[in-house]
Amino acid sequence: MAFITIASPTHSGAVQPGAVQPGAVQPGAVQPGAVQPSAARRFPRWVAWSLVPSHALLILLAVASIFPVYWMFVTAFRPASEALSNNPLPGPLSLENFQYVLRTIPIAGMLANTFGMSLLLALAQLLVAILASYGFARWDFPGKKALYLLFVGSWLVPFQVTMIPNYLLVSQLGMLNTIAGVVLPQLCSAFAVMMLRQHLEAFPKDLLDASQMDGRSSWRTLWEVVVPNLRPALAALGIMLFISAWNEYLWPSLIMQKSDALIQVGIRGFLGAEGNNWGAIMAASALACLPIFLIYIFLQRYVVDAFVRSGLK
Amino acid sequence: MFIETPGPAAATAAGPAGRQARRAGSTRPSWKPYLYIAPAVILLLVWTYWPLGQTVNLSFYDWNLIPTKPKQFVDVQKYAKVLNLPELHQALLNTALYILAFLAISAALPLVFALLSRKVQGKARTVYQALIFVPFLITPVATSAIWRWLFAPEGGTIPAIAATLGSPMGNVFRDPNGSMLAVIVIVGWQMLGFGVLVVSAGLAGISPDYAAAASIDGASGSQITRRIIIPLLSPSLVFLCLMTILLSAQWTYPIIDLVTQGGPGNSSTNIYYLLYQFGFRNFDAGLSSAAGTLFFLGFGLVALVFVELSERLSFYDN
Repeated sequence: MAFITIASPTHSGAVQPGAVQPGAVQPGAVQPGAVQPSAARRFPRWVAWSLVPSHALLILLAVASIFPVYWMFVTAFRPASEALSNNPLPGPLSLENFQYVLRTIPIAGMLANTFGMSLLLALAQLLVAILASYGFARWDFPGKKALYLLFVGSWLVPFQVTMIPNYLLVSQLGMLNTIAGVVLPQLCSAFAVMMLRQHLEAFPKDLLDASQMDGRSSWRTLWEVVVPNLRPALAALGIMLFISAWNEYLWPSLIMQKSDALIQVGIRGFLGAEGNNWGAIMAASALACLPIFLIYIFLQRYVVDAFVRSGLK
Repeated sequence: MFIETPGPAAATAAGPAGRQARRAGSTRPSWKPYLYIAPAVILLLVWTYWPLGQTVNLSFYDWNLIPTKPKQFVDVQKYAKVLNLPELHQALLNTALYILAFLAISAALPLVFALLSRKVQGKARTVYQALIFVPFLITPVATSAIWRWLFAPEGGTIPAIAATLGSPMGNVFRDPNGSMLAVIVIVGWQMLGFGVLVVSAGLAGISPDYAAAASIDGASGSQITRRIIIPLLSPSLVFLCLMTILLSAQWTYPIIDLVTQGGPGNSSTNIYYLLYQFGFRNFDAGLSSAAGTLFFLGFGLVALVFVELSERLSFYDN
């Protein structure tokens, strides 16, 4: 949708000279007649003032959203003795809490395991979804509707309803307390199949036909024509699947009851045992979010766009 | 949105007849598409639909999850038992309250916020959106830790502010009247920004021509909002409401498990946490499965009614 491009077209689309001013309010609300030629005073004053309540509201929302996260970092970076400080400003800076966490629990290993698990799961879910959505989008075949309904219908089956049989199956396979046991039941993401199918339905059929005329098999068409052209969509979906895999809590908490290999479960015990040692708890929490923050800082627009369009965690 | 129907797929079959002959699958059914779909379908059957059948099956047995112990057929006794459990009534009531609270927080409030802030554009907008989306991404263990710290009776920010305002508060998670509210605050914090972004994206997709045309015809600002903008936003709003109804019990689950364990005295539990307790705390597979089967049917019914209603009420711009 227009979401990801909100900022850029306003800039690139403004072809009139002097339309983009650093620090000025963007021209969204201005009537064409109100635009004055002088670069310094393009907007009547009321336009800028009428935006004050909107900005106030958004600032309030942004502060409420960000303060808890900010406070986590502020507390984590304080010396342990000053954890209870109510000074809203950061400092004095100290790595004491992080050193304590790294000494006490093997958190680096947990982070590496969880990272590997999330990456593997996201790639596997993408692969399964690419194949299935290609099958659905390219051909018509008997039973297509019914088979697709299986994917749509899986929305109505909450995981908690099927968790006991799933647990028993993983247990019979001997995969309790293993990462494989966490990954296996999640390999098919119905959501990814549905998202990719939408993209593939919009894929130009002429390209597929041309590829066929060139003598490519459907398999080679998929990997040489379809996938390279879908790269942005696949990247966005992949990032989202990675974040979801990283943040998944319920299933790892059941399967990894006796293993500390994954961060979601691994630091649970630490967080409970540390009681009121808030500095250490915040440091461990900050580490548990680290990869997500890094992804978000560098790929913020893709992340927001992917989640908002799909609307699912 | 995510419940789209297979529509334009038929276009594959169109095209020059000469080419069609070369295309396996277009002219005669072939095994090819099945092969592509097979991995996903098999995974779905093995890990979703077969277990669903198993759950229904288990609901007629008394069994404590120990493989060596035989299951005992008890007919519908588990259903009778679970329907009379006060815990279930409490959990159902709580789940309904959670859904109402999150309908307000992740659909109604975002509508207000998005409408009031839509005039803010450009760089400022991008920055605000980047910030308000952050809570949605925080991992559940960290979310629960952050809020336990913010609510901590000793040194926590929220009790400190409450004390300065003259209304000291104790440990909110141990307070039967406060624990559910605390869970709503925590999960609401995660969902509010997400809702605002979904509604804003919906707003950005509405052509300004409609409002311009209406205002030329003499419509006032509030008339335009009520008669044009909100109807055109209805797909986004329906989507948010459906998500809230179907998924809010999932959103609250990790926080309940990590922060309150449903307590004190089941005051903050919900139906999914109850399923977990029946199955993995009391080791009563039959009871958990009977309750799970009932919830599955109940939620399915609610979702179908909702989709049917929204089909009638939604207004699409095409």
